[in-house]
Amino acid sequence: MNPSEKAASSHPVIRTLTSPAGRALLALLLVLLVGLIFNADGAFFRPGTHRDALRQASVYGILACGLTLVIITAGIDLAVGSVLALVAVCGAKMAIHWHWPAVVVVVASLLVGAACGGTCGFVAARLRVQPFIATLAMMVFARGLAKYASGGMKVSRSFGGEFVDLPPLFAFIDKRILGDNVSMVSVIFLGCVVLAWLALDRHRWGRQLYAIGGNEDAARLSGVPVVAAKAAAYVASGVFAAIAGLCQAAQEQQGDPETGGGYELIAIAMVVIGGTSLMGGRGGMGLTLLGVLTIGYLEKILSINAVPEAGRLMLTGLIIVVAVLTQRRRPA
Amino acid sequence: MQTKTLFSSLLTVVFLAGFTGCKPSTDSSDTPGAARYTIGMSQCNLGEPWRVQMNADVKAAADQHPELKVIFKDAQNDTLKQRAHVEEFVSAKVDLILISPKEAAPLTEPVAKAMAAGIPVIVLDRALLGDQFTCFIGADNVKIGRAAGEWIRQTLGGKGKVVELKGLMTSVPGQDRHQGFRQGIAGSQIEIIFEADMKWLEPEARKEMESALARFDQIDLVYAHNDPGAHGAYLAAQATAREKQMKFVGIDALPHEGVAYVKKGILDATFQYPTGGAEAVATALKILRGESVPKKIVLGSRVFDKANVEQGGRELP
Repeated sequence: MNPSEKAASSHPVIRTLTSPAGRALLALLLVLLVGLIFNADGAFFRPGTHRDALRQASVYGILACGLTLVIITAGIDLAVGSVLALVAVCGAKMAIHWHWPAVVVVVASLLVGAACGGTCGFVAARLRVQPFIATLAMMVFARGLAKYASGGMKVSRSFGGEFVDLPPLFAFIDKRILGDNVSMVSVIFLGCVVLAWLALDRHRWGRQLYAIGGNEDAARLSGVPVVAAKAAAYVASGVFAAIAGLCQAAQEQQGDPETGGGYELIAIAMVVIGGTSLMGGRGGMGLTLLGVLTIGYLEKILSINAVPEAGRLMLTGLIIVVAVLTQRRRPA
Repeated sequence: MQTKTLFSSLLTVVFLAGFTGCKPSTDSSDTPGAARYTIGMSQCNLGEPWRVQMNADVKAAADQHPELKVIFKDAQNDTLKQRAHVEEFVSAKVDLILISPKEAAPLTEPVAKAMAAGIPVIVLDRALLGDQFTCFIGADNVKIGRAAGEWIRQTLGGKGKVVELKGLMTSVPGQDRHQGFRQGIAGSQIEIIFEADMKWLEPEARKEMESALARFDQIDLVYAHNDPGAHGAYLAAQATAREKQMKFVGIDALPHEGVAYVKKGILDATFQYPTGGAEAVATALKILRGESVPKKIVLGSRVFDKANVEQGGRELP
């Protein structure tokens, strides 16, 4: 985008195509092209297919929003899948079993997520434990806490011999709007994208995260509050995981302590496929949005074609590698 | 995705093993002093509600008998941890071992050693190799799948378009429930228009069902290999207001899950996959009293549908 940065000789179209955003867009278009060819007897052309592709990518996508903030600082957050499960369990308990008002459930759930993220942030940023280890510990701990809080059973509507009504909060999150064409969870996901984009692109804190990811020592010497800014990124990741947890519980109509296993790796893959570097300092929310759509559509296309599991896993692996290879910066 | 789960669970195991030293969670029936017999129970994984139910059934049955004390251990889906359980029970000189093994081959030898040490062993749900155990108690997934197939065939009048949402197809229960079902509908005009592996997971089942709904305008019935799968399919159909156009059939029939769904009218039928917890305790008592028991006990199953769910289901032949 910055003309002085790139060689003035290259054509604007080439420049756009070789920019990170251009390449991420290309990967998404390639996946969509696969969908056009293998359209499963026209199922790919129905609006419902696209609404559902977005719906099923949304929970991963919300996790990816938080992960983008953390990965920009050259950190990682492996705990998001477990925090999602913990919040799903707590949210289901509060909403289904205790009939708490929706606002209280949402606020309390976000606080649970923030507390988990805050602990990760404190251990990683203040105590300077490697983020991989700090969040791995939280991944294990939060999963245990989810099992403890739920008593090892799913927190479901079947409770005390009764079948409890679906709480209004869950019905709201799982409903569809705009003439049945958009799932509410997708709207929530887009809201999260905008929030994370505002924080990264339009706020001083975002600049600080890029600076920390680029060169932490340089950032510290130039007066960036490294510990606070970094810890805040983990808090944000915990809050996004909590939002994802509520969405998951609403869609399952229960709090399953086993849910979300492995989701952190899918969300990380979405961030990386978008073009945000695991080394920190480079990337952004727009790229993550493209990465989420790429993997989301890939899953949907494999699903409508009823591709057997073995083939799905191999294809997904291949496409991740190809997408990341096209993302690699070529030497100038 | 499965590989990723494997990777993360591997990390979890490494982490847990390093920091907690594989400490088992022990829980015993509260009959201090009075217990004459100690039973060691090794469960392969308490992450599944069905296995939580099995432990609860064992505990409920054992609580009826003050002379029994049961020590529960959870192997957290780790074969080597479960092997250690058996060895710990042998060195603790328990009177009997109950084991629901994660897999056959690696646990056959440790169980044989326990038998050689004079401790009777009852194997639950999944079998071991050879015959070095006292008694095997389990249900027959092929039979249950076949019963589901026959019920579906009868309910649909021998023809219709069916979606099959399969459990993890690399697992034996998934293969058996698939194979039995196909036997049950063999020769009818029932057509399987869409089949997908939902890995026993509700969110996956919902996702696959959305794809089936996008592709096919007419679906008469969904057969899922477990109740959460059938529930996920129901939610997908409900979201497009098509849930009344089709029937939903699941397997497992846990009281708080499948049976509750049938009562609520979400599922049309569920087939019980019994835990055998109560039978295990009854058999253990016989062994401890010196009575003879059969080498293999195949548990019966029940079907719960709208007609009989309030009466507690109907026993399958």
